[in-house]
Amino acid sequence: MIAYLANLATIVAIFGILASTLNVAIGHAGIFSVAHAVFFGLGAYAGAQTAMLLVPDPLLALLVAALIAGGLSLCLALPALRVRGEYFVAASLGLQMVATTLFSELKPLTGGIGGLVGIPRPELFGVTITALPLALATLALILLATHLLARGSFGRTLRAIRDAESAAEALGKHVAVAKTLAVAFACAGAGMAGALFAFHMAFVNVESFTLDQSVLVMAMVIVGGTGTLWGPLLGAALLLALPAGLSFLPFIPPTEVGAVQQILYGLAMTLLMIFRPAGLVGDLGRGKVAH
Amino acid sequence: MLFLQLLQGGVQTGALYALTAAGFALIFGATRIFHFAHGAAFTLAGYAFLMAWNAGWPWPLGALAAIAVAVLFGVAIEQLVYRPIGRHEGGFFTVFVAAFGVSIVVQNLVGMIAGRGFAVIDTPLSRATEVLPDLWIAPVFYVAIGVSALLFLALSLFLTRSHAGVALRALAQNPDLIRTYGLSSTRLSILAFALGSALAAPAAILTGMTVGLNEAMGHHVMLISMAATIVGGVGNLKGAALAGLLLGIAESVALAFVEPQWAEAVSFVVLFGFILFRPSGLFGVAVAR
Repeated sequence: MIAYLANLATIVAIFGILASTLNVAIGHAGIFSVAHAVFFGLGAYAGAQTAMLLVPDPLLALLVAALIAGGLSLCLALPALRVRGEYFVAASLGLQMVATTLFSELKPLTGGIGGLVGIPRPELFGVTITALPLALATLALILLATHLLARGSFGRTLRAIRDAESAAEALGKHVAVAKTLAVAFACAGAGMAGALFAFHMAFVNVESFTLDQSVLVMAMVIVGGTGTLWGPLLGAALLLALPAGLSFLPFIPPTEVGAVQQILYGLAMTLLMIFRPAGLVGDLGRGKVAH
Repeated sequence: MLFLQLLQGGVQTGALYALTAAGFALIFGATRIFHFAHGAAFTLAGYAFLMAWNAGWPWPLGALAAIAVAVLFGVAIEQLVYRPIGRHEGGFFTVFVAAFGVSIVVQNLVGMIAGRGFAVIDTPLSRATEVLPDLWIAPVFYVAIGVSALLFLALSLFLTRSHAGVALRALAQNPDLIRTYGLSSTRLSILAFALGSALAAPAAILTGMTVGLNEAMGHHVMLISMAATIVGGVGNLKGAALAGLLLGIAESVALAFVEPQWAEAVSFVVLFGFILFRPSGLFGVAVAR
């Protein structure tokens, strides 16, 4: 039971990081990325390869993962600077589809469909530890960073860009720089979540980094409430507890649990958008997420 | 001859992509709604025909049932999902997420009811004969091309010659002016959804006869329609249809050079390139950012 709870807590922390960082892009900067799992995957492969080829030092793995995911976030920042709205969603969908193919075909780097097996346990100062404390510490750091960012001038700049890009530009804000930095922060955070995920599972393959995963993370942000500090974490906990909760219901045949769970996700997304577009934690009076 | 065979497959797939993409582009152009659940209409129509066919219905009845299911779905989602969201001025992302939710629900419901995995509609039309040495063509190829061409002709006549069609094009340009002239924009957007969704039905039926149906295919269909609409230039039905055809051909002909796993990525590399370098698409006018 303890092991089960520890596992659940680690997964919630990892997805909490994913949802919180995606929230910086969606909620603060108005960049509606449907490709977050790409950077989650990049971080997972980078962290796993670092641990397997060099040393199983989690700090180094996290750093490498953050650098690679943050660096490649330019792939997402470029279309974000060019286009907006539906066009950007389409671009990020395209990126997600291409990345999924790359993940399953670049076998020397990613192990293909078979994935990377036998990722060593993390060792900090010569002591083998589990991923849980690492994940919790990273989550706390990310939440702190998001909180500071939201309150500081950079957060205000981002929200100004989200609400009125031309006005922000007219006031002398560096729109391109701010957008690029926001995307880089979000993607680097997703990369760290990926490295933690690789350590925790000791096995990664492309199935964890598909469009479905991106949509799941997006649903977490939206269910919790975009632009809020605790909303994404709450959303992550709720959506991850859902399958566990469903498996206790006796009247659903085990083969259909997955489908029922997906149907509930879908229904929750649709109904929330109709009746509470600001999310569970979001401001009740605020009717719209963005233009 | 391999190249010809791939080209033939590409034209066949492309003609069907073009139909679905035109439906999506019609809806998006007229109502500005990014109808991400368009793929769900496709899946529902395909399975409706499959069930009717397996139950021994004659094919015209099955096709009517498929069209009815697609139209009902399109109108229902317009009324029950998009309209309430539009009423509280939800942004495009709200619409996108809600539509994505609907498509997840449909995909899993279809999987639970009709079973998961590939299902092929087996008709005498799908049996290929050797036309030229090493070139196999099934009669469904001619049907797909004929049906697509005919529907496009009908659609462009409707949009240019009938009152409702002209009003639909006007809705795309200026919804406020439509109201001034005493036309109902509500009724017109229902019409756009009904027509757009109906276009997905023949494409779904013919796809079921060629490569087969699968409960998760709505996603792929949707992504292709979206890609075609953007590559063709938003608001341009002919552009969307042509881009759909080209994407189908590119996907198929690419098989001559790369492994089959890469086929889907080809479409999205094209899409990504267009968004980066020519967001207005092939035939579009420059759009406001």
